[in-house]
Amino acid sequence: MADSMTFILNGKETVYSGSATARLLDVLRNEYNLTGVKCGCKEGECGACSVILDGRLVNSCMTAMGRVAGSGVVTIEGYRETERFKALDKAYASVSAVQCGFCIPGMVLASECILSKNAHPTEEEIREGISGNLCRCTGYNAIVKAIGIAAKEGDGLW
Amino acid sequence: MVTILANGFVPESLAECLELKAKRSLTPYAGGTDLMIEEDRGGQYLFLHKIPELKRIREDDDNLYFGAACTFTELLESALAPAILKAALSRIAAPAIRNTGTIGGNIGNGSAKADSALIFFVTDSALKLSGSKGERLVPIQDFYLGRKKLDLQPDELISEVRMPKKWLSKYDYQKIGARKSLAISRLSFAGLFAEENGAITHCAVAFGAVSDVIIRRKDLDSLLIGKTIPDAKAAKSAYIKAYEEAIVPIRGRVSAEYRKETCLNLLKDFLNKMGI
Ligand SMILES: Cc1cc2nc3c(=O)[nH]c(=O)nc-3n(C[C@H](O)[C@H](O)[C@H](O)COP(=O)(O)OP(=O)(O)OC[C@H]3O[C@@H](n4cnc5c(N)ncnc54)[C@H](O)[C@@H]3O)c2cc1C
Ligand code: FES
Ligand code: FES
Repeated sequence: MADSMTFILNGKETVYSGSATARLLDVLRNEYNLTGVKCGCKEGECGACSVILDGRLVNSCMTAMGRVAGSGVVTIEGYRETERFKALDKAYASVSAVQCGFCIPGMVLASECILSKNAHPTEEEIREGISGNLCRCTGYNAIVKAIGIAAKEGDGLW
Repeated sequence: MVTILANGFVPESLAECLELKAKRSLTPYAGGTDLMIEEDRGGQYLFLHKIPELKRIREDDDNLYFGAACTFTELLESALAPAILKAALSRIAAPAIRNTGTIGGNIGNGSAKADSALIFFVTDSALKLSGSKGERLVPIQDFYLGRKKLDLQPDELISEVRMPKKWLSKYDYQKIGARKSLAISRLSFAGLFAEENGAITHCAVAFGAVSDVIIRRKDLDSLLIGKTIPDAKAAKSAYIKAYEEAIVPIRGRVSAEYRKETCLNLLKDFLNKMGI
């Protein structure tokens, strides 16, 4: 097909025929109604727009649509359906790691990327893994704890 | 096969890519982490992420070769990337930026703040530039002609970085920034050193983010090469003085004087660490 591309969005093959230079962030929110992807800065500084691209954490505000041609994109909406999400969700709740919630979709996907690379991360590795995800509310300690708990309780999932 | 979009192309081989570049005015898009924050994002992008020739990491007896579209994370995960390069890459921004940003984009952006480019300067790496008429190899020092001015023709791409293996083992890398992750480096320093039977066989230093272009002065480093450690100690103040004259800082967010003084302190620390 001329002037179009396909990519896998939350497990579904998707045809896109819009602008190649449009931000993945805007397209996910406006065209596919995936509003769990948040916009905090559009400068790559806050991580609210994090998605997983071919297994790696990226900022969707820093990604043009042409870059995802032939690739797989997972947003929080897709990730919610997994067992791993359930383990993280439970761990975050157990230490009240969520306040306003704005950073949380990105934070959860960053957590997934930490654990998929290393099922038993040290505290330092967890902090490094979420260092591009800013949170105005929690002071990070509860989030770091939650990821540690998910690693323990969800042992075998990652 | 090339995927064609309204205002972009996604080629799957270097040949397809160069053919497109020769015919049209296209902006190479590697990771997009510099491009996506530009004010004016009109025009058409040429996406480089699906070109296997630009993703290769390999070696021969004398050199390491890094494809221009390798991301920082891919290099950090590679057994072939040397420690000095990993020291710089691991301190770039946060994981999501390292997963996206590439060395070709870091160099192609033309900034003296580029952290991987600093390492390519101090290691005397060369760039392979590929165009419709063939390829050429340019030492990275000659590639930067001035602030944001590069020796790159409209039909050319940076396709590979060639890094000599010799002299990589003993190094120093320092980055002085406001915050550890994020925030582009305000100042950075890299040095290489080698001695054999009491004589200095190699000494190379480079300063990033202080001037329009990364500073690398082989002529000044030759003041120490060949000397014994005691002779080098005697020549130390002349060497530092030479750099004091060579470093001409541009006024940036941090004052010019502070930048210059910090550079000289980093140089002195380096000499101390190397026993001079
Ligand atoms: C939040 C944030 C933090 C950052 N922190 C750092 C940091 O600490 N240190 C640092 O050095 N940088 C930093 N950067 C800048 C940026 O991430 C790097 O410069 C990165 O290497 C750019 O690579 P890219 O592939 O994303 O480039 P792109 O944006 O794709 O391209 C950059 C430029 O190079 C050109 N280009 C790309 N590839 C080629 C090629 N193969 N041949 C010719 N031209 C090419 C493009 O056309 C464009 O002009 C940061 C950026 C952000 C957003
Ligand atoms: S909105 Fe993308 S990093 Fe802030
Ligand atoms: S919970 Fe509010 S920004 Fe993180």
